[in-house]
Amino acid sequence: MSFDLISFFTDPVLRAPTLGSIFMCISSSLVGVLVFLRKRSLLGEALSHTSYPGVALAVSTFAAFFSPSSDGFVFAILFFAFLSSVLGLLCIDFLKKRFRVYDDAALTFVLSSFFGIGVLLASRLQTTHAVWYKQVQTFLYGQAATMRDVHIFIYLALFIFILLAVLILYKNIQMLIFDQNYMRSLGVQVRYTEMLFVFLTCLAVVVGIRSVGVVMMAGMLIAPALTARCIAKSLKQMFLFAALFGGVSGFLGNYLSVSVPELFPGTRFVLPTGPMILIIASVLCFAFLIFSPPNGLLWKKLSRKKIKSKILLDETLKFIYSRPGKLASIFQIKEELSISFLRAYFILWILFTKRFLMLKNGSCCLTKRGSKKAIDIFKCHRLWGLYLIDFENDCRYSSLYDLTPELLKDLQEFEHVKYNHGEK
Amino acid sequence: MMLGLHLNPYKNCDFFEFFSVLSTRVLGLITGQIGLADLVSDEIQLLVLLGLCFSSAFLGVFLVLKRMTMMANAICHTILLGIVLAVLVLSPFFNFQASSNSILSMKILLMSSLCTALLTTFLMEFFKQTVKVQEDASIGIVFTFLFAVGVVLVTLFTKNIHIGTEAIMGNIDALDVDDLQIVLFVSLMNFSFFTVFYKRFTSVTFDPLFSSSIGISVSFYNYMIMVLTSATCIAAFRAVGVLLVLMFFVAPPLMSRMLTNNLRSIICLSFILPAIGSFITISLSRHFLTVYQVPISTSGLLVTVFFVMYLLLLLLSPKNGLFTNFLAKSLPIKVID
Repeated sequence: MSFDLISFFTDPVLRAPTLGSIFMCISSSLVGVLVFLRKRSLLGEALSHTSYPGVALAVSTFAAFFSPSSDGFVFAILFFAFLSSVLGLLCIDFLKKRFRVYDDAALTFVLSSFFGIGVLLASRLQTTHAVWYKQVQTFLYGQAATMRDVHIFIYLALFIFILLAVLILYKNIQMLIFDQNYMRSLGVQVRYTEMLFVFLTCLAVVVGIRSVGVVMMAGMLIAPALTARCIAKSLKQMFLFAALFGGVSGFLGNYLSVSVPELFPGTRFVLPTGPMILIIASVLCFAFLIFSPPNGLLWKKLSRKKIKSKILLDETLKFIYSRPGKLASIFQIKEELSISFLRAYFILWILFTKRFLMLKNGSCCLTKRGSKKAIDIFKCHRLWGLYLIDFENDCRYSSLYDLTPELLKDLQEFEHVKYNHGEK
Repeated sequence: MMLGLHLNPYKNCDFFEFFSVLSTRVLGLITGQIGLADLVSDEIQLLVLLGLCFSSAFLGVFLVLKRMTMMANAICHTILLGIVLAVLVLSPFFNFQASSNSILSMKILLMSSLCTALLTTFLMEFFKQTVKVQEDASIGIVFTFLFAVGVVLVTLFTKNIHIGTEAIMGNIDALDVDDLQIVLFVSLMNFSFFTVFYKRFTSVTFDPLFSSSIGISVSFYNYMIMVLTSATCIAAFRAVGVLLVLMFFVAPPLMSRMLTNNLRSIICLSFILPAIGSFITISLSRHFLTVYQVPISTSGLLVTVFFVMYLLLLLLSPKNGLFTNFLAKSLPIKVID
């Protein structure tokens, strides 16, 4: 039995977990952007744990009335989980506001006490109703494989709800994240938007616990948002990228957890879906944090090195130009720039290959091209000084090498006007 | 105690009978009629919980005051990976069976806990300081990732999620005298570290700038706290599970903060209050078993008892309790202090 990619969306057994996880991941990553930018990423961790007693309570009360496979049961679990995570949220706020408990202590206290109550409620079922107990346990690490078509519709509905909320309230969200004072001055109620934001977080968490599980839900909120943060240039892009990465990790997690065990037939090799989704999401996140172009760690290091070597090249050219006869030996260059011999040799080699230098009586001499380049560098440095002096409030350019040719031209004209004005 | 067959003397005890039996047993222990080998499961559980209360009294207070409880939460999660790796490293050398944990010797567990604590803290610091991710996000992503790896490894190598669930939830009924050893060791370790470095820990906690200016490395003590946290998690994971041990760290300082503001008294109360809670928990779980024939999760019950104790303190604490404030407002006579 082998699966192609399309069968994940059509096969009656596979489509529910795949589509369900994708919708869930997208909605959690949309909300995750909000949570991340509000710097309350760990709220998701607390809220997912506080939804656990709701699940346990729903299973132990409703399992007597509904059969565990009925659709109403799914609703009941979602509803109770939502209620209990809202209750947990109220507890956290109460502890923080009324008793001045530290933010993190309040979060951890509420999450562990609610989780403990959940464990207590679930253990009540352990001996008497083993099947129900198993059902509660699946919410710990998530179990996407047993999702049914009804889950697709519920998650689709919740996903659309979250998407609409984000789209309609986009302006308010923007203000809430970036400038609350502006929001107050416009007369928009900060408190209601804040409440709505927390409400959306609860909803996303509750949607997620079925496939990723209570314990790992926090990661699903953070990872796509953090990944998107590496490459997004605006809030809109961040939402888009987060949704994309969330969806991709939801799909890949499902795909790998089904297809990798297929490679080892005969062994009872199992990959759980929830943790796989999370692992994919966080590996993506780590990769982007380290390798992505503008902000990644490696990229930044590389570009810094590049600029450093460029500065050295410029300084060497300037130095040789300033020497009598435009002649300098490698020792003089080494002394002047206080660099190692090897480095000086390397720099000179680069300049030779660019034909800025030639050999003359055993020392380096600038070619015509080289002198022109050196003059350009002097000019550029002078204009940069001008920019720093006359445009001190302009902060678009932070280094000499950010200057574009057009700007240099403008600066030159400006210089011309400024210094010739007095003569007229 | 006939023919070495230990009959549990607490069988069919309800809440109050438990305490009377306990007091006679303690008397017997003191007078030497009952040896250490004769301890029954209830007493072992009680001793383990008391040891945990003792170790987390110091640790929890400093964690809460240094606002590092979320880091402790992260360690509690990643310790699962440490346990799994310890099992995987061991399994080629021993005939490992998924059902028995007896080969998880103390040394290996402690070593693995040390490694996971260092790994977790290092990764969190790396993302925070080198990659410049916000602190909460870096904590959140690191521990969920490591936890997910742990869960995947558990399911891969043990074919079931049983160990994982047991490590998360704890299985206090499976404790035996060997577990007492590790708890004793860890609590002694905590005690000695915190008494020897008490001054330094306080200065690092309340004035990190001052302490770094007189040459105390703040990050060294942070790492030390994290390592101690993970060692305590290892001691606790068989009793209460790695997630619920967080309650041991957070609840006692919060409870004692409702009663006093003095650091030494907070530490003392952080041992006494949860110790009372542990007595109540063990007797309550026995009570439920006797009266309603319902075996319930002791660790869950423990957390619930702590939760209720904290709620009571919130209501009744003389300092700032809700009910106390209400009384003070509604009483016609104002007390001048």
